[in-house]
Amino acid sequence: MVICADIGGPWADPDENTILVATGELAVAEHPKVLVTPALGSCVGITLWDAFARRGGMAHIMLPSPNDTRIDGLVSRFASIALPTLAQEVTQGSVIRRLVAKIAGGSVMFGSDNGTPSIGARNIIEVKRQLALLRIPLVAEDTGGAHARTMELHLDTGLVVVRSYRYGIKDL
Amino acid sequence: MDPQHLSELQIDALGEVGSIGAGHAATALSQLLGASVDIDVPDIRLLPVSEVPSVFGGPENLVGAVYSRLLGDISGALLFILPRQDLLALADLLRSREPGSAKSLGVAEEGLVVHAAGVLQSAYLAAIARLTELAILPGPPQFAFDMLGGILEFVTAEIGMKADTALLIVTRFLSTEIVVDGALFYLPDPDSLDVLLGRLGIV
Repeated sequence: MVICADIGGPWADPDENTILVATGELAVAEHPKVLVTPALGSCVGITLWDAFARRGGMAHIMLPSPNDTRIDGLVSRFASIALPTLAQEVTQGSVIRRLVAKIAGGSVMFGSDNGTPSIGARNIIEVKRQLALLRIPLVAEDTGGAHARTMELHLDTGLVVVRSYRYGIKDL
Repeated sequence: MDPQHLSELQIDALGEVGSIGAGHAATALSQLLGASVDIDVPDIRLLPVSEVPSVFGGPENLVGAVYSRLLGDISGALLFILPRQDLLALADLLRSREPGSAKSLGVAEEGLVVHAAGVLQSAYLAAIARLTELAILPGPPQFAFDMLGGILEFVTAEIGMKADTALLIVTRFLSTEIVVDGALFYLPDPDSLDVLLGRLGIV
């Protein structure tokens, strides 16, 4: 039953410079590392980058806030907690005014059956609200739609590469 | 109860539900198609949701998935997952054609697979309802063809739970010429698996 369809990228072939960020986790790194998070569906991937320090961070959030579930788990899976934490960790070696943000994900993989806004849309709203509260400018996004994405951040140039089966490779 | 440490007896009881459901589904599909289709359950097991992507080779791998939300006495989601080649083989099987006839995944193939998954789901739920007197209502089955990781996280987020455990029911469709293994996952919310096993009289 195992298949190996492959669209390439660091997840398929990780090396010592690749840091994989799993669902609900966050990570901070400096050039020459590359931060990668795979298969964003309704989740949203957020990157913060400091051009001067060539330092940045990535989070992979799953839900807007702890109000959306009663179950314990990684607190960094909530946008309302992950974003302030990520900004704080990145600014240990940077100035918050130098940070720029890019986001990807928040899609609707299956049609909603209850007429309320999808988790993906609510995730995007909360991520943007948190960025505004932190006064970090959102410089690029690839969000919404009905397809899954993999996101990677290259810390030398701040380039964000988004891969999907539907649209191939896209640079943000 | 920790659902990842079920006894042999509990696994057997779930397997019984699986084979009764498979029997009902095979009868229904054979009637619909006017041709004999058999369904076996060669394997049934519990695994952590985090290990589901490894069954298919990783979170970025391309799969077809039919998702139905479950509501009622037990809640959660059912996900029927097949890699592309197996989707095409299942479409051939359901149309009683030569293996290899379906070359691309079009609307017709998608419709057939969603329909088969819907029949499968109803049959399993009917089997559970009969054995446990639990009323479970499925939502309409919906199809997606994308990265497994994205599909899984959407489903777990949408039903508002952590879904740390998945019940994998390997469902084997057999016709005279084609054998296709599909993976049916039941993602229970944390209380529902206890309720189900409790009603089966084995907790």
